[in-house]
Amino acid sequence: MTDLTYDKLKANFPDAVLGKETFRDETTITVDAAQLLKVSKFLRDDPELRFNLLLDVYGVDRRDLGASPRFATSYELYSIPHNRRVRIEAPLADPAENGKKDTLPAIDSVTGVWGTANWLERETYDLMGIEFKGHPWLHRILLPQNWVGHPLRKDYPIGGEPVNFTADRDNPRFAHLGKQIMDTPTFHSELEDMDAEGHLVVNMGPQHPATHGVLRLAVELDGERVISCKPEVGYLHSGFEKTGESKRYEKFIPYCDRLDYVSTMSNNLAYVLAVEKLMDVDVPKHAQYARVILVELQRIASHMVWLGTHAMDVSGTIHALLMYAFYWREQILDIFEMVCGARMTTSYFSVGGLRWALPGAFEDSVRHFLKGFPEVIKDFETMLTDNPVWRTRLEGVGVLTAEQAIDLGVTGPLLRAAGTGFDLRKAQPYSSYDEFDFDIPTATEADSYARYKVRMAELWQSMRIIEQGLAKLGKGPHRTADRKVALPPREEISTSMEALIHHFKLVTEGYKPPVGRLYGIAENPKGILGFGIISDGTANPYRLRVRGPSFVNLQATDLMARQGLLSDIVTVVGSIDIVLGEVDR
Amino acid sequence: MDWIQTLLIPIVYSTILVVILLTGFAYLSYVERKLVARFTMRFGPNRAGPFGLLQPLADALKMMFKEELSPKNADLPVYLLAPFLAISTAVIGWAVFPFASRGFSVLGYSVPPVLADVNIGLLYVAAVTSIGSYAVVLAGWSSNNKYSLLGALRAGAQMVSYELPLGLTLVAVILVVGSMNMTEIIQYQLDHTWLIVLQPFAAIIFFIAGLAESNRSPFDLPETENELVSGYITEYGGIRFAAFFMGEYIHMITFGAIISILFLGGWSGPGADAVPFLGLVYFILKIALMIFMMIWVRASVPRVRYDQLMRFCWKFLMPLALLNLVVTAIVIAL
Repeated sequence: MTDLTYDKLKANFPDAVLGKETFRDETTITVDAAQLLKVSKFLRDDPELRFNLLLDVYGVDRRDLGASPRFATSYELYSIPHNRRVRIEAPLADPAENGKKDTLPAIDSVTGVWGTANWLERETYDLMGIEFKGHPWLHRILLPQNWVGHPLRKDYPIGGEPVNFTADRDNPRFAHLGKQIMDTPTFHSELEDMDAEGHLVVNMGPQHPATHGVLRLAVELDGERVISCKPEVGYLHSGFEKTGESKRYEKFIPYCDRLDYVSTMSNNLAYVLAVEKLMDVDVPKHAQYARVILVELQRIASHMVWLGTHAMDVSGTIHALLMYAFYWREQILDIFEMVCGARMTTSYFSVGGLRWALPGAFEDSVRHFLKGFPEVIKDFETMLTDNPVWRTRLEGVGVLTAEQAIDLGVTGPLLRAAGTGFDLRKAQPYSSYDEFDFDIPTATEADSYARYKVRMAELWQSMRIIEQGLAKLGKGPHRTADRKVALPPREEISTSMEALIHHFKLVTEGYKPPVGRLYGIAENPKGILGFGIISDGTANPYRLRVRGPSFVNLQATDLMARQGLLSDIVTVVGSIDIVLGEVDR
Repeated sequence: MDWIQTLLIPIVYSTILVVILLTGFAYLSYVERKLVARFTMRFGPNRAGPFGLLQPLADALKMMFKEELSPKNADLPVYLLAPFLAISTAVIGWAVFPFASRGFSVLGYSVPPVLADVNIGLLYVAAVTSIGSYAVVLAGWSSNNKYSLLGALRAGAQMVSYELPLGLTLVAVILVVGSMNMTEIIQYQLDHTWLIVLQPFAAIIFFIAGLAESNRSPFDLPETENELVSGYITEYGGIRFAAFFMGEYIHMITFGAIISILFLGGWSGPGADAVPFLGLVYFILKIALMIFMMIWVRASVPRVRYDQLMRFCWKFLMPLALLNLVVTAIVIAL
């Protein structure tokens, strides 16, 4: 099979390309770290390649993989014009092995090529300890500035160890707390960029009514005009990636629920799809349709949360729409509760299908929802779409052009509102989305109002998909018959020895995927959710990378809020639609 | 015993008025919470007492027993004065509002339907209610907080701007009636018809500008909880916070009363001439209607942005009010 990307790279940079590996149709091209910058520019600009979207940057500590050198940074690239993906890997030697104890492995920053690399590289630096030369502001992003160590390294212990902060540990005042001392809140790390003398610097958050959780925005104001607005994240960081490395594949599914906790089904689906691809499991059609229905319901529910909170942000805390939108989200959560017993932390999808069969009343209750919901959307639209106050608050606010959005790695409704009809459900269909007939709503204005319109239109499309899904659903097995990943049915265990063995093996050991790596992506309500999995053949992932769309999208806040007014910040943050659980992971 | 007529009766009168207004505030907060709850598919307060009727009492008690904190570098005298300026300016406007067609007599002393029947009543009301903006500005300035300061800046600009269309509509009313005396304004409406019919534009402008003047949504920019946490009241707690709240709600009642007197005929209504008590009921009902509308707007209209608010005032409301004034003047001159 010819591989255009590899061939072109090999032809242009014969000494930079070190190798190529293909696993489950995903190509990894190994590139010499010293020439990464040249290669990146070529990948982005070559008209036949045009890898304009950098999905993710993450580091891998390959200590236990037997690979040399120890570290590697991976770049997940996506070419929107050519609908193609590639992964670039740049191995990095660990200077500590040569006796330089305090030196971090270093590589060129690609911030100049893809703007989105800014935060992603900061995160890699923070958690993996890889230095990016030429990065505009290389500071820790998720962990406190004075944290000791880089948690995603394999030599960083997990569980039971004291929390290491350099400050206050010797202060007798805190002796009773042992070593678990949280540092005093740091002054915003990027304040040094701000003119705190000439301008008014306001700290919005982490306790602030409009920041949707523990987000902190340092805002530099000239009167009411915003000079710059720097988000600071990490207050909710809980080390998902490190946790994932010590859990079996199946057991990480409940953790996905805690990422973007208002679209749990979508998170589950993205993860489960990645593991299924890794295990090469086929999912029965019935389960695939059921997944599509549930994920689209989840999209509606997530958009309801967005609509309610956005209206509340723009209006006031008691704007009626919040409760109306949440009422209809409740209807969806009721369906979820019926399906799996949980309203928010569903964990309903399992590798190979659904965890349990759909309940008998499922189709009726979804139909019932579909019957009532269109009227409600019309209500919302009459309340907002042509409301002059709503329009003046949103129109022209937080403009993010398609070019800027792609540069910043922004995906989802934000990108579609800038005129790019990029939706993974169409571009690279998964879970039988290719069998559904639906449109991708886009808008061209690229402002908050366009995003509002796009999301409202997506509600209609989701309903169309659900209707088709109900028609297709039919009856069938809800789980794959592949006993290597899915538990056998209870009846079979009492009659079949083989089933009993499978059951025993699955429960005690879990399944062991082949050695390999992949990066599964899916279109979440907020953008592209990515799960990078590196398998070393054991039952636990060797490295589990999570790309939260909110995290990447939030990076655009500064650009969108600049030169607006203070009030526009809440509009902008509301229209990005972030969930802090996913931002901080 | 002339001092009873000139001193004691006004004192008792105003004491009763203040007590009624303060209780009215408490139950207005209950009504607002209840109404907004119904607008948003909730129940509202329903735990304290039957239908939650004791909720205002519980709130007041809670507020009173809260620790009084003040910011370290606050300008203390101003910081302490501001909340009470807010209440008092809202209350003293009530001196000139007529409540019924005629008063009644107790033990040979006459109790008038209006505390002070001054012939510049309208001017007086406009003057004292606008002092209310000082409370907001002073509070925001003195609390030494960035959010409060931004709130105060907004409040200053907003209230001064909206005074103008407000004042211009008042001038139109004065032109029509030919008097600034509240009683005469009502008498004029009794003789002719309600001024909302004669001056519909003035009524609408007055309502909108009044929302801005009394810091009500969608013009509640000085406190915008979504941007400025609580704006000028961020640093206030306990009873001082309650005082601001009182000021705001009494301002709402006052505003409802002004608009009822100016445009809805005050106490007038069927049978109000014969039975003065009925006039009081009509007056209260009209105020209640205005307050209901203000609450309704709050629950359903998004908040405008600061610059849009100013643009709306100067580029739309002001010219409209001026035009209304000119047309009124020409019509009257003819």
